[in-house]
Amino acid sequence: MIIVLPFLTALISAWFTWRGHRASAMGWWAITAAIYVAWCFYHMTTPLKISL
Amino acid sequence: MIHYLFGLRRWTDCLNALALVGVGGTLWFAFVWQIVYHDLPCPLCLLQRVAFAMVGIGLMLNVCFGSRPAHYGIAILSALAGMVSSARQVLLHIAPGDPGYGMPFLGLHFYTWALIAFFLLALYLGVLLMLDGMKQKDAADIPRSPGWLGNLGVYSFLVILLVMFVATLLECGLGPCPDDPTDYLWIPGN
Repeated sequence: MIIVLPFLTALISAWFTWRGHRASAMGWWAITAAIYVAWCFYHMTTPLKISL
Repeated sequence: MIHYLFGLRRWTDCLNALALVGVGGTLWFAFVWQIVYHDLPCPLCLLQRVAFAMVGIGLMLNVCFGSRPAHYGIAILSALAGMVSSARQVLLHIAPGDPGYGMPFLGLHFYTWALIAFFLLALYLGVLLMLDGMKQKDAADIPRSPGWLGNLGVYSFLVILLVMFVATLLECGLGPCPDDPTDYLWIPGN
């Protein structure tokens, strides 16, 4: 699990936005979002000390 | 009208550019805090920074290409994603006697501020989406001049993304970060 990976993909997305490539930027945002969700599942395993 | 002072055509462009400056400023503040107080971010804190970056990408698309529902959708979904990770961290430390993670700022920890910020961002973007009279017939793929305020937001956002990438690489290397990091993994002598 590479924690720095979504920072890289977000940077690529912002770079494409800056360079005027809208579709590529939105594609890299989607990749960033997918990695974000996966990393959330990886890090959210500790049981919470609360009752819901 | 005031938006002409910022070099922008519409007042909603001005609000999008201001929000981008705000998101970039938030990330800059977190980074400066990290350096000055040696307060290293935990994995969930890093995920919250990623969520701010994703919100910023939606705003940057609005600033660089003009407002579109898809751009607002990206920013609002990213704010909701950020609320999930920050709410999770708030719940982790909500039990009585828990000191929380990291140094508090103005009485609240950074993940609590992040939860408030993501909620306010989602609210702000939702209202802006309702009020924004977008011209759907304009070509969305053609970049346009973002004005000096937009340029300020875009360049500060791009630089802080690069800085955060390098800082996270130095802190965690090419693996997962420990839950309670105390030093930079890739800085010799630590």
